[in-house]
Amino acid sequence: MSVDTTLTDGYIELKFGPRWKYIACVRGFIQNFLAISIVDQSKADKIAMAASELLENAVKYASRDDTHIVIKVSPATEQIKILVVNTAKQESINTLLSIYEKISEGDPLQVYVTQMKEAAVRSDGKSHLGLARIRYETGGDLNVTVEKNEVQVSIAIG
Amino acid sequence: MNRLNIENIHEDRMVVEVLDDNSNITVKFKGDIDMEDPGLVLDPFFTTLHAKLLEHKVKEVNTDFKELNFLNSSGIKAVAKWIMKLTELTEAERYSIRIQYNRDITWQVTSLPTLNFLVPGVVKVE
Repeated sequence: MSVDTTLTDGYIELKFGPRWKYIACVRGFIQNFLAISIVDQSKADKIAMAASELLENAVKYASRDDTHIVIKVSPATEQIKILVVNTAKQESINTLLSIYEKISEGDPLQVYVTQMKEAAVRSDGKSHLGLARIRYETGGDLNVTVEKNEVQVSIAIG
Repeated sequence: MNRLNIENIHEDRMVVEVLDDNSNITVKFKGDIDMEDPGLVLDPFFTTLHAKLLEHKVKEVNTDFKELNFLNSSGIKAVAKWIMKLTELTEAERYSIRIQYNRDITWQVTSLPTLNFLVPGVVKVE
């Protein structure tokens, strides 16, 4: 994985074994990092939420012991980019791509509400709600790419 | 104990309390709801709450999220599942849900008002 940064950008990169209990810890760390990097508290909160949701997905569906998260801050524009990378089984990748295709078009609020209604009748313990929530609550550009069994999910928030 | 006889929940970093001041029932959420599947705890809780509200013919219930720091999307699913139970009732049977949120917590400002759209007219977000 490579991170496209310039000398003026700031970034942190974390790699951790897929353990659920680490997510809250990483979320707190990201909030602290953003508190010294940007002044907009609301934006910092949205990014921490998005990072947490992406990490939950990555940890739930990881097939190997390596989950990466990169948070990149561009001070000039205050644009933040989150990138979460993990490896997953093909079945999980197919599910992710199908959810992404479903939620990446249309009015973000309508899509989120529709996903909530569908989640409410699911009985498999999954919500399939995280990406729709991120897209609606952050207003950012969400992107999913897959290469072999490596999944990269990114969100850019301006 | 509240009149519905429902136990409070203390699970991981999540607290859910059912408060009863004799005129109003309030369900208060505190802490963080960020476990892998909060539905394991919340689904049975909401099923019991729903049944008891109907049994006691309560016409409005307050939910207070002001002290909830974080709610993951699986937790939102559990709340949505509860609200959607109201679609199974006739208008006469329905109770309304009043949602109180904290305007200083960003996810609450963006996410909780969307619950209004699940069953229009029965959820009041304030």
